[in-house]
Amino acid sequence: MKLPMKLHHIARSEMDPVSIVRQTDAAHAAHRRRLARKSASEARGGVTRRSTLWALSAAGLITFFGIWWLAAAAQLIPAMFLPTPLAVAQRFVDLLTHPFVGFTLEQHLWSSLQRYLMGVLLAMAVGVPLGLMMGWFRWLDYIVSPLFETLRFIAPIAWVPFAALWFGTSVGGPVLIIFAGAFPPCVVNAYRGAKQVDERLLEAARMLGLSNRMIVCEVLLPGALPAVVAGLRVAAGLGWMSLVGAELIVASSGIGYMMVKGQAAVDTATVMSAMIAIGMVGAVIDLLLGRTEAFAMRHRRRARQ
Amino acid sequence: MHLVMRSARSVVSPRLGCSIVTLATVLLLWYAVTGLTGMVSAARLPSPLDVWQALVQVTVEGYADGRLDQHIVQSVKLVLYGFLTATVSGVPLGLWMGQSRRAQAFLNPIFIMLRPIPPLAWIPLAIVWLGLGDAAKVMVIWFAAFVPSVINSFAGVRNLDPSLIEAAEMLGLRRSQFVREVMIPGALPMIFTGLRLSLQASWTTLVAGELIGAVRGLGHLLTQGSLDIFPAMIVVAMLTVALCGWLMTVLLGLIERRSMPWRPSR
Amino acid sequence: MSVIRFDDVSRVFSHDRSGVVALDHVSLEIADREFVAIVGPSGCGKTTCLRLVAGLEFPSSGTVSVDGRKVMWPGPDRAVVFQQFALFPWKTVYENIELGLRARGMAAGKRREVIERYMDLMNLCGHEQAYPHQLSGGMQQRVAIARAYALAPGVLLMDEPFGALDAQTRVVMQEELVRVTRANPRTVLFITHAVEESVYLADRVVVMTSRPGRVKEIIDVRPVREANRWDQYKRIEDVMDLESFVRLRTHIWKSLRDERSGAEREVERVSA
Repeated sequence: MKLPMKLHHIARSEMDPVSIVRQTDAAHAAHRRRLARKSASEARGGVTRRSTLWALSAAGLITFFGIWWLAAAAQLIPAMFLPTPLAVAQRFVDLLTHPFVGFTLEQHLWSSLQRYLMGVLLAMAVGVPLGLMMGWFRWLDYIVSPLFETLRFIAPIAWVPFAALWFGTSVGGPVLIIFAGAFPPCVVNAYRGAKQVDERLLEAARMLGLSNRMIVCEVLLPGALPAVVAGLRVAAGLGWMSLVGAELIVASSGIGYMMVKGQAAVDTATVMSAMIAIGMVGAVIDLLLGRTEAFAMRHRRRARQ
Repeated sequence: MHLVMRSARSVVSPRLGCSIVTLATVLLLWYAVTGLTGMVSAARLPSPLDVWQALVQVTVEGYADGRLDQHIVQSVKLVLYGFLTATVSGVPLGLWMGQSRRAQAFLNPIFIMLRPIPPLAWIPLAIVWLGLGDAAKVMVIWFAAFVPSVINSFAGVRNLDPSLIEAAEMLGLRRSQFVREVMIPGALPMIFTGLRLSLQASWTTLVAGELIGAVRGLGHLLTQGSLDIFPAMIVVAMLTVALCGWLMTVLLGLIERRSMPWRPSR
Repeated sequence: MSVIRFDDVSRVFSHDRSGVVALDHVSLEIADREFVAIVGPSGCGKTTCLRLVAGLEFPSSGTVSVDGRKVMWPGPDRAVVFQQFALFPWKTVYENIELGLRARGMAAGKRREVIERYMDLMNLCGHEQAYPHQLSGGMQQRVAIARAYALAPGVLLMDEPFGALDAQTRVVMQEELVRVTRANPRTVLFITHAVEESVYLADRVVVMTSRPGRVKEIIDVRPVREANRWDQYKRIEDVMDLESFVRLRTHIWKSLRDERSGAEREVERVSA
């Protein structure tokens, strides 16, 4: 089954390369990559010993923080612009208890998360069924695709002026932008999932005499599930990114708002603390969804082996 | 009538025909809802005519301190600076990390730490460090484009078919030959995936950066339209952003197809 | 040209807690310009034998040597033909065959001469500029064989080279390989699970036990082949009709059957 060129293109480009690497690393475990000549015993032991690799990783982190700390402590860059790592950590902890521009760090985060969840859940609730139906009903695909393709290229952040115009600084603004960011991956991946259902499974279902409703529940939905879940993961990531962007401009609370105010006050430590908080939450969201994806795919992985 | 329909169908594929019909219908509906009946007020949603007029205005007279072509040039210029520097620095780094376990071990923790931070989150920091000018925007665009380039080039090397690597070893290739003849062509598909993602990220970041502070550019056009409550201009800016992004992606696609003549065309 | 020698070779894979013994004290000698086929049930370690000679893997104990020298790393002196062809998709047929010669520093004119000779030998003329994806499986494997031959290797290692091809193409390739190897004899180690293929192609057939792999028996095909003059028949089906062929084939088949049921019992035990 061939997808129309455009959507296939985009669905493919939203693969997560890190998971590919993890899979191929496992497959490559037995293969050497070095071509330089070496003794048989060295080759037998593997390219580099594991302990060496761990040491290098530690060295990398130490170098990173070392350079940072040196540059800050030696005042190569004034403390106003580059606080030491310790100063940032202290500020982070401080923000957990002392409010900044109205709220503490968790309160800002919670406010952001609420908007985020609203936008992402809305995008999923609308996008996944739409994508699935576009995949199953060609007429719907023909009607919706051109519109979707035109609007898809508008960066979610470009919706900010309309968000401001329509919703002011109320919650609707950021939600619109998060929706604009999370919606396309939901649709595209659900579409891909719907198209991907093995023809042969459908033929088997018809041969067994399943009713239409049973075919949808027992064959089409489970078949599309992996792609849908992968899409949810991408959507969650893009949604979080769009949230940050939205809050930089149209918000009166939230983690992005905190960053902007920190920047205006040239309070670099606060800005960095906010960045760390954003990174941490983003990583946790991705981790949770990664687990969900692995869970949804657990049967498939075994079958492939 | 039948003859006309039949010959038309042989020229225009059903999909293309449907697209045109749909877009035309949407356009008509849009016009009906806004300009014709005034069901939705012009302050919330401009009519197609208003948009057209705004487009003419910004192209001929200029708006927000510049004509449309000047705004486009400014934005495209910044995207190219950021994107090209990120690609030139990121792809070789990713390739190196891919083929050297040690490089990967050393640099990976730093990437794991920095990767979850969305590029847009670097904007306030960039402004603190470099001010509200072009430099801050280019820096953030660079970061946004750098990460996908590295990660995808890295994955491209790791994704190489192990039997191809064994065949290369069997043939007795030296390392430089291996890199040039096997590793890079083999990783090229994923390198281009990375480039596509980098380009997307570059545009998003550029628009965000210009929304926050700029004197010229498409993002500035958006902001000014927003401040002046000129929704038609906002739409013009949005569509221009989409068009530029789309054109650059198409260009990248052309380069991709040209540089990989061995791939079966899909 | 070469002598391959396995000296009490064992190969143990250590996955998780238990070690999987792929090869258990295998000793084998392959004489110069001899065509030896190894047959055995799946997982018996026959591919491992090939990879040890190729230098793509290393024995846990014992030595594998070629021409008296211990095998340390892969190289063009032990050319490999892979089951999945392993042609570089971004290179044309000509460039694929050329790569090994370029690595060696051969001059362009000499390269052209060599490549054309082997392309002609493998019936590839006219396809110099084609990319692998444009060729059928059989054609791709022909390119892989031409690539190996062009290296003028001391040893030719073929890892189930016709396994990925359909039945008709397999037969054609077998006939071609016989034609080529009888004309230019080389030391060949050929891995297969198809008994008829091994009897048709080889001078000697080594039957391996199921895991852990050991040499079960070695059958001398060449005397039978020469005594009954199989080579007078151009077509494979005529050879396979001969009583001498059938007898050999049935003997090896029976030998394998015991191994196969052993292997099945092993699979049941593992998955239980």
